[in-house]
Amino acid sequence: MPIRFKALSYIYNKDMPYAHKALDSVDLDIREGIITAIIGETGSGKSTLVEHLNALLLPSEGSLEVLDYNIVAGQKQKFLKPLRKDVGLVFQFSEYQLFEETVIKDVAFGPMNFGLSQQDALKQAAAALKLVKIDESLFNVSPLELSGGQKRRVAIAGIIACDPRIIVLDEPTAGLDPKGAREIIDLFVSLNRQLSKTIIIVSHDNEMVYNYCDETVVLSHGKVVYHGPTMELFDDKKKLKEFDMLEPQIVSFRNELIEKGFKLSKDARTLKVIAREIAGQVKR
Amino acid sequence: MSLIELKNVSYSYNDSTKAVDDVSFSVRKGDYVTIIGHNGSGKSTLAKLIAGLLPVKEGSITVDSLEVNEENIPQIRKRLGIVFQNPDNQFIGSTVRDDIAFGLENKQVPSDEMEAIVEEYAKKVGLTEYLNYEPQNLSGGQKQRVAIAGILAMSPDIIIFDEATSMLDPKGKKEIKQLMYDLAGGDDITIISITHDIEEVLQSDDCVVLSKGKLFMHDVPEKVFANAEKLRQIDLDVPFIENVRETFGKYKIKLKANDLKGMVEELCRSGSKR
Amino acid sequence: MNNLVFGKYIPIDSFMHRLDPRAKLIGLFLMIAAVFVPKSWWVFLVIGLMLALALLMAKIGIKMIVQSFKPMVMMMIFLMVINALTVKTGDVLFTVGPVQVYSDAVFNTLFVIVRLLLMISITTLLTATTNPLDLTLGIEWILKPLEVIHFPTHEVAMMVSIALRFIPTIIEETIRIMNAQKSRGVDFENGRLAEKISAILSLIVPLFSVAFERAYELADAMEARGYVPGAKRSRYHVLKFRFVDYLFILICVGALSFSILSRFYL
Repeated sequence: MPIRFKALSYIYNKDMPYAHKALDSVDLDIREGIITAIIGETGSGKSTLVEHLNALLLPSEGSLEVLDYNIVAGQKQKFLKPLRKDVGLVFQFSEYQLFEETVIKDVAFGPMNFGLSQQDALKQAAAALKLVKIDESLFNVSPLELSGGQKRRVAIAGIIACDPRIIVLDEPTAGLDPKGAREIIDLFVSLNRQLSKTIIIVSHDNEMVYNYCDETVVLSHGKVVYHGPTMELFDDKKKLKEFDMLEPQIVSFRNELIEKGFKLSKDARTLKVIAREIAGQVKR
Repeated sequence: MSLIELKNVSYSYNDSTKAVDDVSFSVRKGDYVTIIGHNGSGKSTLAKLIAGLLPVKEGSITVDSLEVNEENIPQIRKRLGIVFQNPDNQFIGSTVRDDIAFGLENKQVPSDEMEAIVEEYAKKVGLTEYLNYEPQNLSGGQKQRVAIAGILAMSPDIIIFDEATSMLDPKGKKEIKQLMYDLAGGDDITIISITHDIEEVLQSDDCVVLSKGKLFMHDVPEKVFANAEKLRQIDLDVPFIENVRETFGKYKIKLKANDLKGMVEELCRSGSKR
Repeated sequence: MNNLVFGKYIPIDSFMHRLDPRAKLIGLFLMIAAVFVPKSWWVFLVIGLMLALALLMAKIGIKMIVQSFKPMVMMMIFLMVINALTVKTGDVLFTVGPVQVYSDAVFNTLFVIVRLLLMISITTLLTATTNPLDLTLGIEWILKPLEVIHFPTHEVAMMVSIALRFIPTIIEETIRIMNAQKSRGVDFENGRLAEKISAILSLIVPLFSVAFERAYELADAMEARGYVPGAKRSRYHVLKFRFVDYLFILICVGALSFSILSRFYL
């Protein structure tokens, strides 16, 4: 297991009258090489959870293993830099972190902080920008001149260029138009499938989670209330109701068909496959 | 009767590209109109032009036969409100109370009448218990409700929503959309909503599609979405139901129903081999 | 940021909280003058007792007042040292190394320190019991006479209240950007000068660009809701002097008179 939470709790403003337990004894193993979604209502502890992954927050109680690093409550951390290189965290509205005068310099900023020479950093930056489909003609313009979707992709390239083994994205599609959102989704899917990066996505978008995430973790009031295959969660009507989650439309459609007596295989999860399987069952 | 008329409106920020390019359409009184288009298609610029936040340089916009220009803007503002995308950047007062009162102060409503109005509109958006809250203690959805209350308190007959739900979580989106539908339900308020939310578009009376600053389509939502192929060309989403229709069409199954349940029934009727 | 006590508002309800901010501001000026004038310890004792009573009525613990002294400790020590080195009157009390410390040095220093502490306590009392927005309104009222020379009191007050409103938002944003840059390997605590500069730039530049964006959007939102700088507006918050406010000011006037008179009679 590359990531293992052990009875981890996190308390904001510890020892203050308004202390708040954001994570409550979380036990969680996240598998390597897959896309895992972390979902739950605002305030359920999602962001707090992911900010532990690269030690921006340190556990109040319990411990956390990430790759070869062991983070234990109350112990001083000595390996912050290598950990942060190996676990790349892309924040919500990440375009706001851009600050260098050119796109490529901004992307090279991370690798240089992690000790690469300027030349190597620029090389990695160029490769990362290519991956996020930013055209070479934009490398030397100011990040401020880009569109919202482009800025977001440049910010993500800033993390990819550090060559992390785990990439964590907090609400990567929030505030983008459908096209911008699709580009981001294509990006992390290809990071996972082609470069076999472990991807963790915090999201409110159930359709996206259903379509692209292998496993899903549901948080509620700082506790893990579900962790398992995404399909199993969305097939379970009782669970969806319990977690107050909207059923993706494709799931409603699939369920309706099955209810009416059509036979659909376990893999019939996209419209294309559903239509193909149904086509064999009706007269045309 | 058309309340808002745009005639050949163009606008460019710097001299280079036109953010809005020769757009003409009209909005009927009491309608709920959605404007869709990808980011950079000129939607927000258009909203700002109608609200008089940007000067109309080419073409003309009239609100109730009143030309939107410097002279008439104070008068138009009295009846037109705009809810912006970012909940934080339109929260002006220090508390919910103060923020709802902000517009009233500008309108020079007498001090002793304000309290009653503030409370009335806080109630309308369901925030009575939050009147003394500061913005940092409110959710995004609640902040947007405050913005709406502040605008409603000024009793406008036109409200523009500029991606008012796009930065909210699902709960906040639902809250604000419900509020918008309730407002649209009456005949007295005309709503223009800029959105990416397909489900919202389906609820509207009329839909304007923009692409690269130009008017791409303008029709009732059903007709707009019937052109799935055309919409995809400009990178827009179509409703799930249209995707179903299209995908099954490729397998020579023609579905005519307008909702999922209906489609499933159609499939059942077309007779299973079993 | 949470450790900063001086100037912090404590949102509770008390007699002091309910006083009109203008009365409290006037009271603050009167009391600070009253602390400045006297040469007698007796006056300090009286003012100290009044202050203690006011704190009690404001439901503010002594702990908070003591904490508000913290930032001044260095200054006090500095004062002590300077006085010990320069004041050479009175009796020699004790000797530290080559320096002989005279009684006047000690008493003068203590006198100045008590004066300072009283001033800080009075100011803390004001800020702790007055919501920043009310304070702004009070300051606006006091600056009103300056409108004769075309000083834009209302605009300034609006600016201050918006600045106050955005402080928590900007703190939140700062933390978020810092976290984002830390995730890109920035170390805000250690590092060489060049690294420190680049770390600070990576924080400041985004903060500014977000602040500008906010400013533009806020300006649009204000304009759309009918705000015109300099135009006449009505007021939602109307400050009203009540009997207790006059009484409060009267008591403060009394304290100042006592302190002035003390210079002649005590």
